[in-house]
Amino acid sequence: MSNNILPVDFESFADARKQGFLDVKNLKDQGKKVVGMYCTYTPEEIFIAAGAVPVGICAFSDETIAEAEKVLPRNLCPLIKSSYGFALTDKCPYMYFADLVVGETTCDGKKKMYELLGEIKNTHVMQIPQSQFDDASQELWYKEVLRLKERVENDFGVEITDDAIKAAIKIKNETRNLLKEFAELSKLDPPPIMGAEQLKLNYGQLFKFDLEAKNAELRQMIDKVKADYDSGVRYVPEGAKRILVTGCPLAGVTDKVVKAIEESGGVVVVYENCIGYKPIAMNIDEDAEPYRAIADRYLQIGCSVMTPNTNRYDLLTELCRDFKVDGVVEMVLTACHTYAIETANIRILMQSQNIPFISVETDYSTSDAAQLKTRMAAFIEMM
Amino acid sequence: MGWTVGIDSGSTMCKAVLFEGNNMVDQYLTKTGWNPALSAEEALNTLLDRGRQGFRRHIIKRGDVRVVATGYGREAISFADATYTEITCHALGAAFLAPEIGGVIDIGGQDSKVIRLEKGKPADFLMNDKCAAGTGRFLTMACDVLGINLEEIDDFAHPTESVHITSMCTVFAETEIISSLAARADRGMILAGVLQSIAQRAHQMTAKMGFDGTNPLLMTGGLARSNMLVSAIAKVTGFVVKTDQNAQFAGAIGACVKEIENG
Repeated sequence: MSNNILPVDFESFADARKQGFLDVKNLKDQGKKVVGMYCTYTPEEIFIAAGAVPVGICAFSDETIAEAEKVLPRNLCPLIKSSYGFALTDKCPYMYFADLVVGETTCDGKKKMYELLGEIKNTHVMQIPQSQFDDASQELWYKEVLRLKERVENDFGVEITDDAIKAAIKIKNETRNLLKEFAELSKLDPPPIMGAEQLKLNYGQLFKFDLEAKNAELRQMIDKVKADYDSGVRYVPEGAKRILVTGCPLAGVTDKVVKAIEESGGVVVVYENCIGYKPIAMNIDEDAEPYRAIADRYLQIGCSVMTPNTNRYDLLTELCRDFKVDGVVEMVLTACHTYAIETANIRILMQSQNIPFISVETDYSTSDAAQLKTRMAAFIEMM
Repeated sequence: MGWTVGIDSGSTMCKAVLFEGNNMVDQYLTKTGWNPALSAEEALNTLLDRGRQGFRRHIIKRGDVRVVATGYGREAISFADATYTEITCHALGAAFLAPEIGGVIDIGGQDSKVIRLEKGKPADFLMNDKCAAGTGRFLTMACDVLGINLEEIDDFAHPTESVHITSMCTVFAETEIISSLAARADRGMILAGVLQSIAQRAHQMTAKMGFDGTNPLLMTGGLARSNMLVSAIAKVTGFVVKTDQNAQFAGAIGACVKEIENG
């Protein structure tokens, strides 16, 4: 099942992270500034409006973990260790070329790691509140968005005009709309593509830096997938169990979870994760005061660092219904306390909706592929 | 009536059963060894060769049997006609042996799992296979250090008193046992402590499964042969825990049940 190759060129997205290395170098040579960012809470419109190039630097491989563990504790989330390790070793070109790295005080591990990162990279840390619904939290975040704007203007010696920020909001809204349209193709039954292909696009599009061209390419992809489906081409077997994936950021080596699902008679129809539906679910109000609109929209992302994290429950409920989900698989990275604890609430939520639920813990090694396969196969056999 | 052979290739033992129609007619147990495919083949050939037991010996032809594999070695058994996970198979096998149960506690050689059943079908499960805590490997280690034969644990363990083992980790627990021996603690009491520790681990898993205690649980896997362990688990969890003389074959039985169900 997982061997289905689409005539649509998903490889363009699969290789985007690598291809982007050269693109970023060229952009740097042209005098462009590069901003490395970790999280979906980072309002990248500000960098775009400043003429800079935002790029995701969350790391998804165990390549640099050993190096990171010379400084960081072993019992820490692999994403944090890996990301810090890439900064230490200069092995990630994006980190290497970054003129500014922006992080937020999301989880304990990340915010303390940013202190260490600040000693080797030009780092700006946004104070993110842990609640999304009270005035004081919203006000804090709004001020943090303004503080980020000032930092970018000072560091890069530019002034971000109102027209520029509005244009940035507009083009990012378009991207989010396209990504949403693409994701929602999998509402079809059977879905038009396997979840592994969907993931390639979700992750790969983060490394396409010409935003106009990216939007055009996304449009083409959607049309091609639709045309194939309408002409009767099927890449997903009839009767494959429709799985929603949620939990920690999933990409790179952790696609082993997706493989385990899709080799066991399942198909991932939607990713609720932050490389997936979560960051595209909402758009920024183009008619409101831009910085207020940016702050309001980003703060509402439902990550487990928030308490209570009811926005995640609401999004999961909506996605399970709209994508006609047969089962929910949560991936928790080792030592991610906020997600691991929230699992208890998600389990109750899923039970209340009679949707089978399983949570698996994994890290950036590949040694547990067989164990994951057994769990996923057993989970799907139960349906 | 068709023939079905279920093979449960575990980390330590390879368990196989022969079904004629809906009835189990024979079983075979051998060490998994270094090559799961070889031990599975040995099990299959033995069962076919023995054929139908009784006064009319009847050798079964390979072409007349469906072979179903489960267990961690299932992927290596290339001659299997179908494979299912050990979760599904243990659940169905346990329900075959004891239809009234509400769940399964399986303690195997290198993993342990707890399965919740609804109407004889698996509804939820938890699996521990990242570390040896509370598995057969843990008990084997303890028996080695204590110089006790694994088959004699029920005779050896102190029936009422135990030395508390605080570490769940196999490596640390070994150090603890060695320290206890150095402090001249009674071996039977140390072994009782080890069984308590395995029971505690099983309790942590059953607690997360949300059993309500209406129906008994069945303990499967090689360690189900220890009555002391079964009663320790019953005491710690507060549930009625049963076992069955064929409990070790639950996975292999379930493989047959699943295949027969699928037609």
